[in-house]
Amino acid sequence: MGERQQMRYAFYPGCVAKGGCPELYPAAIKVAERLGIELIEMKDVGCTGAGVLSREVSDPINARTLAKAEAIGLPIMTICSTCQGCLMQANHRLVTDPEYREKINREYLAEEGLEYRGTTDVKHFLWILDEDFGLDKLQEMVVNPLEELNVAAFYGCYLRRPPEVVVPKGKESRKVSLENTIKALGGNVVATKGKGKCCGFPILYPNERNSLEMCGTHTLEAKDKGADAMVTPCPLCHLELDGTQSRAEQHKGKKINLPVLHLPQLVGLALGFSPKEMEMQRHLVSTSPVEEKARKKAEV
Amino acid sequence: MQVNLNVRRYDPISNGSGSRQTYSVEVDEQSTVLDALIQVKDQQDATLSFRGSCRTGFCGDCTMRVNGKAKWACRLPVSKAQVDGEITLDPPRLVKEVKDLIYDQEEFLFDKYAATKPWIEPSPPAPAEEHIVSQEKIKELQEASSCTLCGMCDEGCTVLVIDKTFLGPAALTRAFKPVADPRDRVIERRLSELSEKRGMWDCVHCFEATEHCPKGIDPTDRILSLRDEAIKRGIGTPRVVRHNDSFAKSIKSSGWLDEARLAIESEGLTNIGGLMHLVPTAAKAMAHRKAPLPYLHKKRPGAKHIKRIFETWEKGSK
Repeated sequence: MGERQQMRYAFYPGCVAKGGCPELYPAAIKVAERLGIELIEMKDVGCTGAGVLSREVSDPINARTLAKAEAIGLPIMTICSTCQGCLMQANHRLVTDPEYREKINREYLAEEGLEYRGTTDVKHFLWILDEDFGLDKLQEMVVNPLEELNVAAFYGCYLRRPPEVVVPKGKESRKVSLENTIKALGGNVVATKGKGKCCGFPILYPNERNSLEMCGTHTLEAKDKGADAMVTPCPLCHLELDGTQSRAEQHKGKKINLPVLHLPQLVGLALGFSPKEMEMQRHLVSTSPVEEKARKKAEV
Repeated sequence: MQVNLNVRRYDPISNGSGSRQTYSVEVDEQSTVLDALIQVKDQQDATLSFRGSCRTGFCGDCTMRVNGKAKWACRLPVSKAQVDGEITLDPPRLVKEVKDLIYDQEEFLFDKYAATKPWIEPSPPAPAEEHIVSQEKIKELQEASSCTLCGMCDEGCTVLVIDKTFLGPAALTRAFKPVADPRDRVIERRLSELSEKRGMWDCVHCFEATEHCPKGIDPTDRILSLRDEAIKRGIGTPRVVRHNDSFAKSIKSSGWLDEARLAIESEGLTNIGGLMHLVPTAAKAMAHRKAPLPYLHKKRPGAKHIKRIFETWEKGSK
């Protein structure tokens, strides 16, 4: 075995990284390139359903994505907790129930000449850093340690539950991988009770009050515990925690003003990219307090 | 072994807001937390009140917080629960306390359960012979039937913490049963009622309920199954139906999601008030070049295959 094999993944960016969070896609691409992770983007595949489409139709769409990665012999890399969860849950059903998989192959994929045999692995960028790339190696590549930055982790539900699908035996480090990544980048972890809870995004349409209550509670908790920023591996959490934060402030009657970073952006800052290269100017909550602290270190 | 049980004491008549009391008790290595409580009640303090029925992990009557986390006291050995020789015991966090570890199950569980009308309503007249339900279907229903309303899933629920009026995963899991039962003839009415305020669309599908369920019933999956059934039949609140329809249309036509279109269509194209509500956030997002422009949404290269998958599904589900 070579010291370090070329890391290649079938890259599934998801809809939001190119839609409501257009800063995420270029940040992830730049960071992967800097780390030497080769990404083959899957351009002809569909949305995972995001927990909104009926699974009766999203399972065949996801089976198609999994089959296409299988055909090129690569594991899938996601940069969205929700995409990761939906693809992984669909994969779990397809792998553990061969009859169901055959039915989907027969009824939906055969016409396109595709077949899913159940061998594709789906991994979030966070898990790839921790399990495939190695946080020790990441730490070695840090040129701008985020020593002055207090960061609260926010995972998004789908990277934590359901545990038998997402955190199987032997992969327990996934429950602390975000905190460990912050530490590897030189940052200080702010522990919160809300880190594994729902951000509120899934009920923004059906129940805005409850959604804003969740957003306000999590961001305020992090702020009150001294966080300069929050980091999330999920762009849907970002849409909620950054995008609706000003409405959550009104709802809670309190100023919050907590910058929320995508995981690749935080990694990028530590690897020496500028905030502009990480397109942080696109966020709705100003990231200038983070930039200030990150820049200070870079200039020393 | 010796253990100290630090128990929440509450009596609405004599001690107002409640207090804590520690009982020191000598128990066997194999004793459960419930065994220890029973021993205290028998030997030290007959006024200590708690629930515990089957004592074998079937009924779920002894749900309580052990060291802050909801557990079944009858399934948890003292040796495993104790931290430095102490175990703290409290009722579940979202309940109305009645006395000590006893809480109001009516308000917490049973009233919501009853509100879902969880009995089968076959259409009259009754069949001449018995209803025949396939073994395959029975197997599917059996798992959901094994729910004993222990309340562990509600205890873990992310939504109930901030909104106690939400039906909650326990009631919704039980509501799944008649919807999935082929003998029932009022499925659409059920799904409409479960779609009302504080119903199934308020669930954030965070899978906390699934993680908390001690019986492996997977309550979150039951709720998603109810929603899948409702989506297929176009049932939900008007806002939910608009949201689901727009989402599906976007994926069906282009392969991926047109988020700006989704925001507009979820409010409703003729809902001026709702659309105005979007303006401040949309304007801010546009200024930051964060918002995609609605309807200017390119098709993905594989879009025709996604469309075909949708059409095949739609044909099959009719």
